Amino acid sequence: MSRPASGGNPYLNLGVLVLVVAALSLLPMMTTPYYIRIATGIAMWAGIALSWNVICGYAGYISFGHVAFFGIGAYTTAILMQPQHDWNFWATLPVAAVIAGAVAALVGWPALRLKGAYFAIATWALAEAVRELTTILKFTGGSGGLTTPIRNDDNFFFYTMLAAAAIAFAVCYVLLERSRFGFRVKAVRDNEIAARAQGINTTLIKIEAFVLSAIIPAVLGGINAYWITFINPQSVLNTIITDQLVVMVLVGGLGHAWGPALGATALFLLQEQLRVSYGETTAYIIIVGALVMAVVLFLPDGLVSLARRARRMRLVRQLIGRTRQEATP
Amino acid sequence: MTELAQALVGGLLIGGLYVAISIGFSLSFGVLDVVDLAVGMWVVLGAFAAIVVSDKLGIDAFLLLPVIFVVFGAVGWLIAPLIYRVRTSKYALPALMGLAFTFGLATLIRGGLLTAFGYNPRTVHTDFFTGNVELLGITAPAIRVAGFAFAVVATGLFLAFLFYTRTGLAIRATAQSKENAGLMGIDVKRISSLVYAIYTGLTAMAGALLGAIYAMTPEVGLRYTLFAFFVVVLAGLGSAVGVMAAGLFLGVLQSLVTTYVGANYTLLVVFGVLFIALLLFPQGISRRGLA
Repeated sequence: MSRPASGGNPYLNLGVLVLVVAALSLLPMMTTPYYIRIATGIAMWAGIALSWNVICGYAGYISFGHVAFFGIGAYTTAILMQPQHDWNFWATLPVAAVIAGAVAALVGWPALRLKGAYFAIATWALAEAVRELTTILKFTGGSGGLTTPIRNDDNFFFYTMLAAAAIAFAVCYVLLERSRFGFRVKAVRDNEIAARAQGINTTLIKIEAFVLSAIIPAVLGGINAYWITFINPQSVLNTIITDQLVVMVLVGGLGHAWGPALGATALFLLQEQLRVSYGETTAYIIIVGALVMAVVLFLPDGLVSLARRARRMRLVRQLIGRTRQEATP
Repeated sequence: MTELAQALVGGLLIGGLYVAISIGFSLSFGVLDVVDLAVGMWVVLGAFAAIVVSDKLGIDAFLLLPVIFVVFGAVGWLIAPLIYRVRTSKYALPALMGLAFTFGLATLIRGGLLTAFGYNPRTVHTDFFTGNVELLGITAPAIRVAGFAFAVVATGLFLAFLFYTRTGLAIRATAQSKENAGLMGIDVKRISSLVYAIYTGLTAMAGALLGAIYAMTPEVGLRYTLFAFFVVVLAGLGSAVGVMAAGLFLGVLQSLVTTYVGANYTLLVVFGVLFIALLLFPQGISRRGLA
């Protein structure tokens, strides 16, 4: 599971990132606004999927409440941009990040000390609680939601979203694949007791990873709120967002640097195609659920593993060896 | 004062059904080692099955309870080997994959129900147990009393099965240690399927009863998942007495919040208590094995 990095060469990976971003930034000159919006959506989902990969793929804790951070970011930006506050858009994003990070630390502090199942459901409960809160509270506009000032500029949002996702990727890549922090996170995931014996404060490391993974969707959520100009609990705190994240990362490849982006692209295009062909349909939820189950059963390492079958087989053999050792107490 | 007594009794009666749901949930966690995130969806599925069949065939939903148990037990029996397979797979992070699998299952069921029935709330209709029961100046809806009675009987039978039969002994042994149970000649995979089947059947039956008390939509499934989990966290995994106490406590808590604060705040309060419980008892609640 602990692949060092795809290819193991940091220059290659960051180089690929620069190339991809450079190629994409030429997109507005070549296509219609419709495709620009699709590309913006892909960038956003890739960023969110990436953030989920931090806590799930690298730290080994599954979070079913990531939609909460996305929603917190969206609401922070929308509230601060209301006429009575009238903040600048850029100034709202750090606030969104700080609030989401604080909430993550607060929830992670008790929940990350425990086994994964507790954390999974605590985060799920958090998402529900946040949604309930936004429906009840006055300043979030209740179930009616909030509107943000309209900015009719597809290219602006495309570049902003792309930049945010690219920065998130670079930061996560450097932190998780190229720093002591990353080694600590993976050590905690692979063997928490041994990690603690090495003097790692495992709970702190997990909280840090969770905060990192909460900040990214908050910022993207803030951009999204400005982009779609109207948010309500049904749109930015919908459970389907978490469902979709889970399937994107699992389909792409859990714990892999490029997996989430790959899965996000594939899933977002599938969803868009379905929407074009059949309109908004709840059947999409069925597909998402079935995909999660199918991937877990048949392709647990995701699409990235297909191209690296040989390498994976070697890893699997190592892991069998490891689990056998663990199994004998 | 009567209002308070009323709320307490109403809460205790509902709490009985939460106990019935959580006791199977807790045991299936102990045996399968995977928290079934679809627990709330079994509740909703049971309710919708009762609604559809009683509407179509004109049979009263209460007469259908045994059928629901058998049908959902069979469904659980078929799904359990998949969960078992994921949990014991050779891939990395099997525990996490198990959670993802049941999460996918919950999503699949939710999508299916939404597609079939839409977002409108529905209730289970029954001609039995209408009106109110009055005792010592406290009135309670008869349906809640019936639900509580059902929960007591179902939970009692389940515990009797666990503690007074050889299969029950095998189940408890498996919950304590899979490897040692396997060495004693217990077919762990078969026991896992059996426990999961009993649990899904029991949960779906409780769901049909809950559907007669509260309106059901496919979206409320998550709520019951959180409730079941709340009970297990407070109880400590595998403690039958703890599950009973925590289930009744949840019913009372929900009833008090609904009466004095507002139904909208239920989940917030439940989350708050869960948060504090996780904070205060990080070790004590992860006890395992049915004792």
